[in-house]
Amino acid sequence: MTESGKPVKAARYGMAIDIDRCTGCGACMVACAVENNIPPAHEGVTDRKGITWIRVYKVDNGAADAGRRSAFVPVLCQHCGKDTPCVHVCPQQAVDVDPSTGVVGEIPTRCLGCRYCVAACPYHARYFNWWDPAWPAGMEKTMNPDVAPRMRGVVEKCNFCHGRWHEARQRAAADGKPVTEPVAYLPACAEACPTRAITFGDLNDPANAASVAAHGAGSFRLLEKLDTDPKIHYISKRDWVRAIADAPRPGNGKESTRG
Amino acid sequence: MTTTRRNLFKLAGGAAVGAMFTPAPWRLITDAALLSETWPGVPKPKRGEVSFQFGNCGLCPAGCAVRARSIGGQPVSLAGVAGHPLSHGALCAFGVAGHHLPYHPGRLKSGPAAQAAAAVRAALGQLRDTEHCAVLDLRPGRTASWTYRRAMASLHNGIYLTPEAPVVVNLSAARTVLSLGAGLYDNWGTPGNVIAAREQFRLFQAEPVESRTAVMADVWLPIRPASEDALALGIAHLLLAEKAVAGLPAGFIDRVKEFPPAVAAERTGIAEAQIAALAGELREHAPSLVIDEAGSPYATALNVILGAPGHTLVTRREAPVPDAWKNAASAADLAAVRDGSIRVLLIDESAPGDACPWNEIQPKLADHAAVVTFACSEEGYGRHANFVLPTAVYPEIVDDIPPAVDSPAAAFRLSAALMPPPDGMTNPADFIGALVGIDPKNALQDRAEAIRKSGRGSLFVPSTACSTPTKDVKPADFWKLLQAGATWIDDIDPRAAAPKLEIPALPVETRAAAFPLVVAATEAGTPAVGSPLLSKIYQESGLRLAPAGVAMHPSDARASGLEAGSRARFETASGSVAVSVTLDAAIPRGVVEIGGGPGIRNLCGARTSARVVRS
Repeated sequence: MTESGKPVKAARYGMAIDIDRCTGCGACMVACAVENNIPPAHEGVTDRKGITWIRVYKVDNGAADAGRRSAFVPVLCQHCGKDTPCVHVCPQQAVDVDPSTGVVGEIPTRCLGCRYCVAACPYHARYFNWWDPAWPAGMEKTMNPDVAPRMRGVVEKCNFCHGRWHEARQRAAADGKPVTEPVAYLPACAEACPTRAITFGDLNDPANAASVAAHGAGSFRLLEKLDTDPKIHYISKRDWVRAIADAPRPGNGKESTRG
Repeated sequence: MTTTRRNLFKLAGGAAVGAMFTPAPWRLITDAALLSETWPGVPKPKRGEVSFQFGNCGLCPAGCAVRARSIGGQPVSLAGVAGHPLSHGALCAFGVAGHHLPYHPGRLKSGPAAQAAAAVRAALGQLRDTEHCAVLDLRPGRTASWTYRRAMASLHNGIYLTPEAPVVVNLSAARTVLSLGAGLYDNWGTPGNVIAAREQFRLFQAEPVESRTAVMADVWLPIRPASEDALALGIAHLLLAEKAVAGLPAGFIDRVKEFPPAVAAERTGIAEAQIAALAGELREHAPSLVIDEAGSPYATALNVILGAPGHTLVTRREAPVPDAWKNAASAADLAAVRDGSIRVLLIDESAPGDACPWNEIQPKLADHAAVVTFACSEEGYGRHANFVLPTAVYPEIVDDIPPAVDSPAAAFRLSAALMPPPDGMTNPADFIGALVGIDPKNALQDRAEAIRKSGRGSLFVPSTACSTPTKDVKPADFWKLLQAGATWIDDIDPRAAAPKLEIPALPVETRAAAFPLVVAATEAGTPAVGSPLLSKIYQESGLRLAPAGVAMHPSDARASGLEAGSRARFETASGSVAVSVTLDAAIPRGVVEIGGGPGIRNLCGARTSARVVRS
C-alpha cells in the first residue's frame, strides 16, 4: 500500500539473457561499474576479490580440441523471489526483497560485513569490499551522483540499477503518472549490450518483451532445482549450454571453498 | 563517609558496567558505522546540472556515435545512439568508459615540446638532397592527415607514410564470409555494423584458438597454427578445378597445384570433406568474402576467384576536401623508401589505428635521425623515439574520425570535446603545420564546408534520429550540427569501379627457429590506453587477456621454464615487451596468445612468430 492508501500494482522486474547473442565483449560489466560507482581494482586483486556486479563467464562443452565449443554467460544477482537465501542469513536485515518491484536490495549502511550472504548465495553474485573504494586521481569526478559509493567492509551486489529506477519514478511522477504503477527503465548493462542480448522488463506484464522472451523456447534459469524463483532467465538453442543451469558456478564448475 | 581512592575506583567501575546496560554503547557503534561510511577514503560524487551531449567515439576508426551524460559539465557516462546508420546503437567496452581516459595513471602529462621543435628544425636545416622528412600517420583519412600531406608536399623531400590500407569491405552485401583469423568481434570494424550485418551472412572462422569471433561463428575451423594460407590454397584448388579465372598470376596457379585438398587437409588439420564443403558454400552462397587482416596474397587471390571485387570488396570515395588542399602529398610506400634516408620522422599515434612494425621503420632511419612521436603514453613508438610529446585524448579534443574498413561510404563525424585538455599538451597537426607555416586551426570547418558544397550524401542528426540530404541542410546549420554529433554519410557511387586487387609477390614460407610460437593477437585491435575500469574484464574476471599478458599451452610454458604468473619477455623480430604468463590448456601447442595494449601492434604485425622467455 502507498501512503495514500492506494494498492501498489506490484512489478516483478527481471531479465531474459540470450546466451547465443552474447559475444563476451564485457561492455555490460564496464557499463555496470560506471553506473554504480564500482572502483577499478586494487593492484593484486584477482577474480576472487574483484567486484563485478555482473560477470561474464566463458563456458564450454567440455570437449577437447576440434570438438570444443564455448559460450559466454553473464551472471548477476538472480533476484530470487522465493526463500531468498541471502535474506534469510543476514543478521542485520541489510538485505530485503522489495515487494513492489521484486528487486533484492542490499543496504550497505546496515551491513556489518559478516559475509554470511556471500556464502549463502548459490550464484556467487555477491561481492565484499576488501578495500576502501579508490579511483585514480581525478577520476572520482566521473562518479555517478545518483549512486552512493560503498565503504570498505560491506557486501554489495546488483540492484537492477536502483538509481535509474528512482529517476524513472521521478520522471513518471513529473509526467503525472500514478506512483503506484510500475515504471519502464533500463539498467546500464541492458542499455550497453551491443547485441541486445539482455532484455529487461516487468515479468508480471505478459506483453513485456522480457516476459515474452523469458517464457519462450529455449529459456531456462540457473539452479532451478533450488526453487528460489530467480528472475534472470537465460535463453539458448544449444542443449549443452542449457545444461550449465545445474552447474554450481559457470566457468569452472567448481564450488568456491576459500570464501 | 570519607571519599577514598578505593571508593572513587568503585564509582568509576560501577558507572562503566552500568553504562553497558544503557543505549550509549549501541549508539556508539552506530555512530562509528556512520563515521566509517563517510570515511575520508570514500569519495563523494558531486551533484550538478544534468545535461546530454552527442558526439562520436574517437578511440578507434569505428567512430561509434555516443550520447554523453554530464553532471555539472563533467561527463559521467557514455551510451550508444540508437538508430545510427553506421554504429546501430552499439558501443564496445572501451567506448562505454571512454570518458575515463583523461584520468589514466599511465597518461603522459608533460613533454619536451620546445626541445623537440628545436631538434626537428635543426635537422630540417641540415637535410641533404638524399634525405627525407617523413610523417607516419597511424590513422589516415582525417583532416589532420591532410595537414600532414600538405606539409610534406611543401617540404623539400617530405614523405607521408601510413600503414597499409585494407580494401574496404561491404559486409551487408555478403552472404558467406570466411575469416582467416580476423577478429570480426574484436575491434576489426564497426561493432554495431558487424552485429547488424551478421544476420545476413554465414561466418566461417578459421583460426587455431577459439577467439570471441570463433565462438560467435556459425562454423569454427580450428586449423593448425600458421596454416591459413594452406586453407586458402586448398579452397582455391577446388574452385579453380571447376571454373578457370583469368588474371591470376602464373606463380599463384603453380602454387595452387601443389595444394590439392588432401595436402591442404594435412597442413591445416581440417578434414578434406570439410574443406570441400567450405569451398562449396563460398561458391554456392555468393556473394562471398574472405577476410584476412594479414593481407595474405592467397586470400587476395581467393577473393578474386570468388568475384568479391565490386560486390563485397568495394572502392570508397574520400570525403571532399577544399580545392586548395589537392596538391597534397600522396601516401608513400615505406618499403620503397631508401634505407638510411629518413632524417626526421614524426609519428602521430595520438589517434589509435593500425601500426607499422618498428623493424620495418628502423632500417629507413638515417644516423642521428630525429624521431618525434605524439602520443598519450610512452609505451608505443615512444620506446624508440628521441622525443615523446603528450597529446590530448578522447574526449578532450575535437577531431574527425575517418570511416572504418567496413564502411562502404565515406563519412565525416567529429569526436566532441566533452572536457578541456590539461595544459602542456601538443597538437600534432599544429606542430607539423608550423614547420611549413600551415595553420590548421580552421581545417575541420573548411573541410565541412567543402563537403556541404559538394551536395553529396546526407546528414544524420542523433538528437532527432533523422537523416537529411546534405543539399537540404541550411549552410549555417551544417557545421553546427556536425559539432553537435551529427554524421555526414556519403552516397555510394554507383559508377565506382571495382577495386583492383593487386596480388603481391607470393611470400616465401619462413619461420625463424628463434621464434617458434605463432602469435594469436586476438586483442591487438584494442585501443592503446583504456579506462582503469577495464580491470573488470582484464583483472577481476579474466574475461579478456590483459594488456601485456600472454596465454600459452602448459607444455610450451614448461619448455621455456615458465609457469602460471611468471614474469617473462615476449620477443618478436620487431622487439620485445614485458608480459605475465597465463597457462591455458585450450590454446594449441605452438601458439601464444597476447593481449592488446600499447605497442603490441607495432611489435606483432600480422602472422608473426615469437618466443616467450623468462625475464
